[in-house]
Amino acid sequence: MAVDMKMPILIVDDYKTMLRIVRNLLNKLGFSDIDEATDGTEALAKLKSRRYALIISDWNMQPMTGYELLQKVRADASTKSLPFVMVTAESKVENVIAARKAGVNNYIIKPFSAEVLKAKLKTVLGDF
Amino acid sequence: MSGKGTLDLVERLTNECIDVCQAVLRGRKYLGPLLDPSFRTQKLQRAVNEQKTAVGEMEMAVDRIMTAVEKMSEIDFSDGGAAALRVAECCDEIMEACCFQDITGQRLSQVNETLGVVEDTLSFLSDGPAETVQPDDKTLLNGPALPGGGMGQDAVDRLLADDMGKQEAHR
Repeated sequence: MAVDMKMPILIVDDYKTMLRIVRNLLNKLGFSDIDEATDGTEALAKLKSRRYALIISDWNMQPMTGYELLQKVRADASTKSLPFVMVTAESKVENVIAARKAGVNNYIIKPFSAEVLKAKLKTVLGDF
Repeated sequence: MSGKGTLDLVERLTNECIDVCQAVLRGRKYLGPLLDPSFRTQKLQRAVNEQKTAVGEMEMAVDRIMTAVEKMSEIDFSDGGAAALRVAECCDEIMEACCFQDITGQRLSQVNETLGVVEDTLSFLSDGPAETVQPDDKTLLNGPALPGGGMGQDAVDRLLADDMGKQEAHR
């Protein structure tokens, strides 16, 4: 099935620059409906008010990290199977294993290229 | 000097020596966080390495941005279509290079954290004990890895693929 390029995507990062970079790259890939949150708490509030088709989240944020957000997303029946991609500078093996165990769909190490983002999104969403 | 006078002097000198020793011991106690070997070998050394790495990453990012700008300034605009493509490529290059701000920001936060410990200890020495705030539980928050210290994207992909394969086999 073709990927709906108008699917609502939530990007979560505490660095405004990163939000802009990810938003621009997603726009370039053809995605147009993009919302932003600056930490896990704000993301959870947005998830309660709207149904998203994908979350792209940083890990290292305060007060709620991306890892905690992932755990909460997976614990909630309404978002349990929502595709979740972690985009983070946390590259220790224990981080990747913990994220995988918590149910992350893919894991991108910062800094990343547009090609890497595209390839990982294809893995998660299907070809587009 | 009489015997009594000598004894008084010895007692006074002894008391002063005890005071000095106690002051030194107090100072050592206050300096405890900085004298802890793990602070020097891990926190301080890591802060120095993080700072050096951040400077290196900023240099690389600026170099990438400058190179892209130079490429843009050399584009031949007589062929509009080809020129637009070249400009788009340069814009992508600049955008990707800007990722450095997030990563160096995280590195410099670690440096600030270490400097905070030094500042707190020095304040403690000069002003006496203050209320200390325990940092939040930062389990699994390692921050960006230093060069050679973390996994690359290929290694992460292999780990995830291996893990997913095991889960499939388990079903």
